[in-house]
Amino acid sequence: MSIVRPFRATDLFKFNNINLDVWTETYGIGFYLNYLSRWPDLCCVQEAPSGRMQGYVIGKAEGTGAEWHGHVTALTVAPEYRRLSLGRKMMGLLEMVSDEIYKGFFVDLYVRCANKVAIGMYEGLGYSVYRRVREYYGSLGLGAGGRDEEDAFDMRKPLSRDPHRRSVRSNGRDVVVSAREVS
Amino acid sequence: MSAAALDRQIRPIYDALDTGSNKSAILACNKLLKKHPNLDLLKALKALAYVRSQKVEESLVICDEVLAAKPTDDATLSAMTHVLRGLGRHTDLIKMFEEALKQEPQNEELAAQTFFANVRTGSWKAAQLIATKMHKQFQEVRYIYWNVICAILQANDAATPPNMRTLLYKLAHRLVTSSPTPSYVSADRFYLHLVILRELQLFDEANTLLESDVGKSICATSLLCDELRREIWRMRGLFQEEGQRARQRIIESKDRNWLEFVSVLDAAFPPASSASNGQNGVSAETAGETRDFLAGIAEQDGIRDRSAHLALLELERRSRDHGLSKDPTKLVGLLEKYFRMFGDKACCFEDLQPHMLLDGDDLSRWTTFLESQTSSFVDVPSIQRVINVHKMLRYNLAASQITAELEKTRAAQYMKDYFSGLPLGNDLPDTELQPADALAILTAQAYLSVWKLTGHEAQLYNAAVVLEYALGRSKHAFQMRLLLIQIYRLLGAATLALEHYRSMNVKQVQNDTLSHLILARASTFSTASTGDLTFATECLESSQIYMSNSQETSDFIVRAFTQEKYSMIPDFIAFEDRLDNSLQRDLVKVEHVRMRVTHEQINSELIDMELIELKFIFDRFHHDNRDLDIVLNYQPRVQDTVYNQTLLFDKTPGLGWLWIFLKVYIRALQQASDVDDTVEDKLLIGDRPKQSNDPENKLPLKERLAKRKQEELDELTEDELRFMNYATAMADWLQPYHDYVRPPPAAVLAEASKQTELRTGRPLQGVEIPELTNGSFKKDEEAPPVKDSPEILSTFFDDMKARWLEVVAGGKLPSEALHIATLTQEALILLTIETLRFKPASVVKVHKLGALVQSFKAIRTKAIAVMKEIAAELSKYAEQEGTSERRKAFVEACTGAQSSSQIDSDFVLNVAKRVTDARKKVLEGVGKGILRVCTNHA
Repeated sequence: MSIVRPFRATDLFKFNNINLDVWTETYGIGFYLNYLSRWPDLCCVQEAPSGRMQGYVIGKAEGTGAEWHGHVTALTVAPEYRRLSLGRKMMGLLEMVSDEIYKGFFVDLYVRCANKVAIGMYEGLGYSVYRRVREYYGSLGLGAGGRDEEDAFDMRKPLSRDPHRRSVRSNGRDVVVSAREVS
Repeated sequence: MSAAALDRQIRPIYDALDTGSNKSAILACNKLLKKHPNLDLLKALKALAYVRSQKVEESLVICDEVLAAKPTDDATLSAMTHVLRGLGRHTDLIKMFEEALKQEPQNEELAAQTFFANVRTGSWKAAQLIATKMHKQFQEVRYIYWNVICAILQANDAATPPNMRTLLYKLAHRLVTSSPTPSYVSADRFYLHLVILRELQLFDEANTLLESDVGKSICATSLLCDELRREIWRMRGLFQEEGQRARQRIIESKDRNWLEFVSVLDAAFPPASSASNGQNGVSAETAGETRDFLAGIAEQDGIRDRSAHLALLELERRSRDHGLSKDPTKLVGLLEKYFRMFGDKACCFEDLQPHMLLDGDDLSRWTTFLESQTSSFVDVPSIQRVINVHKMLRYNLAASQITAELEKTRAAQYMKDYFSGLPLGNDLPDTELQPADALAILTAQAYLSVWKLTGHEAQLYNAAVVLEYALGRSKHAFQMRLLLIQIYRLLGAATLALEHYRSMNVKQVQNDTLSHLILARASTFSTASTGDLTFATECLESSQIYMSNSQETSDFIVRAFTQEKYSMIPDFIAFEDRLDNSLQRDLVKVEHVRMRVTHEQINSELIDMELIELKFIFDRFHHDNRDLDIVLNYQPRVQDTVYNQTLLFDKTPGLGWLWIFLKVYIRALQQASDVDDTVEDKLLIGDRPKQSNDPENKLPLKERLAKRKQEELDELTEDELRFMNYATAMADWLQPYHDYVRPPPAAVLAEASKQTELRTGRPLQGVEIPELTNGSFKKDEEAPPVKDSPEILSTFFDDMKARWLEVVAGGKLPSEALHIATLTQEALILLTIETLRFKPASVVKVHKLGALVQSFKAIRTKAIAVMKEIAAELSKYAEQEGTSERRKAFVEACTGAQSSSQIDSDFVLNVAKRVTDARKKVLEGVGKGILRVCTNHA
């Protein structure tokens, strides 16, 4: 439960309680304004009734032909508002807009292979691993989680334009590509 | 040579510019310019390389040459765009494109660039005219909408008179309705159309649009349009209809957006301001019916969603306010139910806060309920319940329950529970927050409350130790760091505060909203006087974001036009403006100046530059973007927030503080400077910043500088007030002598021109210098008679010494001692700034000001004597901080934090060592710095 509303440029003045968390990156102004100036409908904020920001999602539409899709660039929830299904609601909105406005074939996102909680959540929402991207999160040496720390899963969920589920595959975890090949 | 060959030769210049090799870019330009001396592109690129290597005067010459040639080719225009933006010459940029467009009126790209040049400077009227022409000529519908949004932006501009505003909206309306395609072809055009209808209150037309199938479908997928729709319905007083629609969405689409629930509630209890509409009457029936609806949803959702449950609470509260609630136990009953269902969520406390403002029987029942909850630490949800119980009980404590003893008992309880809960997080990775974190924060806040009650510094130690321990267990708990920053600043352990601040990895736009945590009054802790530029550098680094803003943001405003994302444009503009005119930006600027003058030699270059910058700031309309709510507050509601409790000197510097310090420094620098307004106008490169519309800013500068408003003075500490009075008295006293001795503008300009010629080989451009008769500018009138210095100038230093003794003897915080020491030092430096003009013996002799100079000496001698005493004491103070007795005393003071056996004395000793070392460092540094300042300003 929370207020779902559009992401605005001036929200950058208010997102500290979300962005001071270690898992959320704060980018340059241009990053946010770039998304807002192109895909404002794929960006949204969740706000508590008190007016405090709880989380946000930033997305875009990209690809050509059958690869045309919605992409989740950032999805984040402040620590004190986790376990409230906020992420689920924001994903729902992004999928709906990707489907109805952008007419994409699927929605995709990248997630650290070590992030079991997030992967579980996305699977629950109907996403599946399409491929494993090697060293997507930099190759600064291996952390405690080994390769899972720096590799990403590219996860996808087909939309109504892909009724035959051509954009996904069942053996995605075994398909490994390098970070260079994806973008 | 063929065009292709020339292209090949020019490419390396671009490469050099891209990689920041400006020097080689200049060399390459020079080489090619020998062969093509009239090629504008080469000149433009050379000017750009000069701008980027900060050689402004050199670039100006070439820049003017290219502008005079009125270029029209893309490459030159694009290079010149960068040059002119770099120089801040936006007006010239517009002119350049206008000239180019005149020569090639059929060129659509040129027209668009001219339009954008106006957009970048916010010249909406001019932009609108261009858009009109563009539509006539190129027949693209989007140009109609460019025109529309420019009309709206012009209407919204604060400088536009109200009657003009409506006219502009009417114009926008006519444009939209006469467009060959309807607005609903895109959500953003539709949005713009709705904005106009809302403003003009054309609700019928809005209704037709919104009720159409396409309108409905746009609102279903666009949050932006739906937000506007909701607003329009509310403006029309359609609370019932909106409530019905919301119910439908809640039931059919399972929408759990809180806004839908607010709509349901507003249908039962319309906001007071709009209840004039007869059909919106409040009745027990509608309230009851709404309650049944919400209860049904709550039943259905159970613990899956909090919306309906919270809405029931809100409904009960509104019913009570309207005297419609019959059952007095109902509210607390709902609170209890909510707690049972969601007490294991971290946000439960925040959810219930507005509904917990209880007293009397309600409060005692609620308190009994909370107290009856048994504490369990078996799993994360149980700890969360324990935490919520503590927070909620604490929130409603009465003033009589907040004594030092009781707060200490509470601190001990919170800490005990913290350690009971801590093992649950043992297996979590380093990167995770610990579930028991909030209990450590509660402990610290209870200690801070004891500190506030007793004034015992020891309680700050206890709070710090608990937080340091908990931070060791939960490395990324930034809420703990926030409190530690506050505590360490109070304790004068500034480097530790800075360490924690840096660990939070504050970057980009966060610098604007968060740097106040570490930079408010940071000159108190700065040892720039000894050459340690840590804080001065922090000021500069945190200010980088303002450069990025002025360089980047307008590109995205332009992008929003080309992408037709009209809904974003007003907000992008607001963002750019708020950052550009940020209060924090200029608070940091002033702090930086205060640090700079302790470190650098005071000379005319420093004086002139800072004067011009501070005067610009003085014309701004400031926005306060500081995040003052980031520190979570768990103090009882009858107390101040923990952030306010722990503010350095109990006050946060804001607009009033800024205004006073600007006035003090502008006045002093203005007197010291030879650059008066007429000279400044001629020497200024680039446009002046837009003036704010505040009528007060239209008064003459002299009058504005003399003003002292109560709300401004209220933001000063007692000692800052003393400093201000000292500065004002000095400026008043010396004004006539400065005015008499200052060389006339013509002489200043002649000198500036000479200097420019020495550097660039060409005299100053565009400035006519009147002939001076043999270089002499002695005034005809007599020098003003020398008056004695006002008494306050010497008593100030006595007062500061007395204050110093009072603070040190009174066992006040070290930060307060530093405050007095650094302000006294600032007063001496200000004396130097004010008297620099009278330093050369020839000036004194020519103007017969010997007696005046004598009185400076007396003040200076007094100042230096006092400062040396303070410096000696500071070094003694610092020495004490470094002793083992001091550390031992710290450890012994932390009885509370050590009461649980988990935090051992070694840990406390380690914190003690770090705190006392950090303190020693700043006390010693400031003391040494004062001595150095004494020598430099003797």
